[in-house]
Amino acid sequence: MKHIIFCISTFVLLWSSISFAAGTQYDLRVDGLACPFCAYGIEKKFIRTEGVESVDIDLKNGVVIVKTSEGKTFKEDQLKEVINEAGFTMHSMVQKPL
Amino acid sequence: MRRIFWLTLSASAWLALSGQSAFAHDPVFSIGPHVLYKGGIETAIETARDKSGNEKESELGLEIVYGITGDWAAGIEVPFAFKDEGTESSNGLSDIQVFTKYRFWREDSLGLQESAAVMLAVNAENGDEKTDPPLGNGATDIITGLTYGYEGLKWYRWASARYVLPGENAAGLQLGNKWLLDFVSGWRPTPPEYTKPDTVWLLELNGEFTDKAELNNNSLANSGGTEWFVSPGIFWTMRNFAIKSGIQIPIASDLNGIQDESDYRFKATFEWHL
Repeated sequence: MKHIIFCISTFVLLWSSISFAAGTQYDLRVDGLACPFCAYGIEKKFIRTEGVESVDIDLKNGVVIVKTSEGKTFKEDQLKEVINEAGFTMHSMVQKPL
Repeated sequence: MRRIFWLTLSASAWLALSGQSAFAHDPVFSIGPHVLYKGGIETAIETARDKSGNEKESELGLEIVYGITGDWAAGIEVPFAFKDEGTESSNGLSDIQVFTKYRFWREDSLGLQESAAVMLAVNAENGDEKTDPPLGNGATDIITGLTYGYEGLKWYRWASARYVLPGENAAGLQLGNKWLLDFVSGWRPTPPEYTKPDTVWLLELNGEFTDKAELNNNSLANSGGTEWFVSPGIFWTMRNFAIKSGIQIPIASDLNGIQDESDYRFKATFEWHL
C-alpha cells in the first residue's frame, strides 16, 4: 500500500512540475510609465498576444511582468516592439522559467 | 445684425473648446501630447457648458479615437448642442470635428515621460446656421496645435499653443482667427498603483486672443478680444476608465466693443479604452 501511495505521489509531483513549469516569465524594465490609465495599453497589447497568460505592472519601479504558457517565448526585439507600440520604451529584460 | 452677433458669439465659444479631444491624460481645457497605443480604441462622452451674460450653451459630444501607431492617433467627435438665448432656444447636431495628433518626440525614463506632439482638427460645416440661435457657423474651420508634456509619478506640466483659422460662410461672415495659449500643472497626491483608482489635480491657465470677425470684408466692431481663464480640474482613472472635469473661471477680459464677458465654462468627460 505504501508503495502505491509513493508511486502516485511521485507521479502527481512530476506531472504538476511538467505542466506548470514550462512557461516563461519576462521581467521588463520599462521607461515612461507614469500613470495607470496609460499603462493599460501595455496590458491590452500583451493580452491580445497568443500564449500570454498574465501581465502585471509595477509603476513605481517601472517593471512589467509578463507570464507565458508552455512553449511560448519572445525575442527581446519582439518585446521592445510591443512596448514601443504601447507608447513606452523598454530599457532591459530578465527572462526566467516558471 | 442680432443674428450676426449670435453667430460670432456661439461659434467663438465652440471654437474655444475645439481641438482638444478627450485623451484622458491631457488637460481638461487644453491639449497635451497623450496619444493611444497602436490598435487601441478610445471612446468618450463629453459634456460642456458655457455661460456669457444671458446666453447659455450646452453640448453633448460623442467621440471615438483610434491608435494608428504608438505615437499617432486620429478620431471624430459628433456634438449635439443645446442653445438658449433667453427668448429663443435651439438644439440639434452641431459641427462635426475630425482630428489627428502625432507625437513626434518622446523621452522616457524611470517613472517619467516627456513628449511633444502636433495636432490638426477640422470642423465641418454641417451644423445648421439658420436656426435661432444657430447651431454652427456655416463654414469649415481648421485648428492646428503644438504641445509639450511632462508626466511624472507625482507632478505633471503641459504647455500648448493652438491656432484657429475659421472659414467664411455663405453669408460672407468670417470669424476672427484665434490663438489659444495654455499652461498647466498637475499633482498626484498619492503614488499610483496599477489596477487601483488614481487621482490627479490640475490647475490650468488658458489665454484666448481673437481677431475681429469680418462680414463681407468689413470688420465687426463688437467681436474679438482677449480673455484669460484660470481652470481647476481633476482626472480620475481606474484601469481603462477615466473621468475628467474642470471649470474655467475668467480672470481677465479685454473684449472689443460691446460683448458679454464669459461667466464660466464647465466640461466633463467620461472615457474608456476598449
